[in-house]
Amino acid sequence: MDFVILSFVILAIGIYGLLTNRQLLKVFISVELIAIAATLNFVMLASSMGVGLGQAFLILAFSTDTAVSGIILALLVIVSKKYGTSDISKILQAIENKDGTEVEA
Amino acid sequence: MIFEILAVGLIISAVLALFLEDVIYSVAALAGTFFFTALIYIQNGAFFAAIFQFAVGIGTLAVLFLSGEMLGDKPAKKAPPKRTGALIGVGAILSMPAIFLSVSGSTGTTSNLDFGDALWNIRGLDVVLQALVILTVALGIVIVLHEKKKKGGQ
Repeated sequence: MDFVILSFVILAIGIYGLLTNRQLLKVFISVELIAIAATLNFVMLASSMGVGLGQAFLILAFSTDTAVSGIILALLVIVSKKYGTSDISKILQAIENKDGTEVEA
Repeated sequence: MIFEILAVGLIISAVLALFLEDVIYSVAALAGTFFFTALIYIQNGAFFAAIFQFAVGIGTLAVLFLSGEMLGDKPAKKAPPKRTGALIGVGAILSMPAIFLSVSGSTGTTSNLDFGDALWNIRGLDVVLQALVILTVALGIVIVLHEKKKKGGQ
């Protein structure tokens, strides 16, 4: 069951990227990596057991993943057009300057 | 042996996708991640999963290339080749656990339930409902675009 370690490493890379990257597109890529880790574990376990149900569930997982990707991309486009950048720090700075209130980074 | 090579490729491309400076190169590395994942599925006999991975991956990459080109902030200067080499090295080191470690455990009883039976007999309701949702969204988009066109014409 080597795939468990492999999917754990991918999951760890994705979470690290999600926490450290400041660019919205990189955050989106991190979410994609986390989804890949989950589906990899799922499909490999099912195929090692010889159960076709794992692949059937994968369709459900992919459609959920695609819906999440669509929502993230829509938000990304709106925020980037509104603030003129896709850098989270700059967006927070712009919100802070506009509202005159402190925004926790 | 093939699984180990694919695992190293998958992890290196994942590291490159996250830590390369230019967004377009990151998306290209993400394409590698999708590709290696699909190859791992094929190697383990999950052909349908591989086909879905390819299809969804190509769609995601197309959208990401476009949005990366439009919205991505261009880096001030090009990343030196040393940095890319260092990232590949980090990816290779991170893939060591996947090569040398293994989780032992029984996989339980095996079943002969194939993909078609599983999809239609057990997950049939899900699949039909998903198709209904996708159809509704497509119809909604067509209606919104039609209304916009009508407003633009007036």
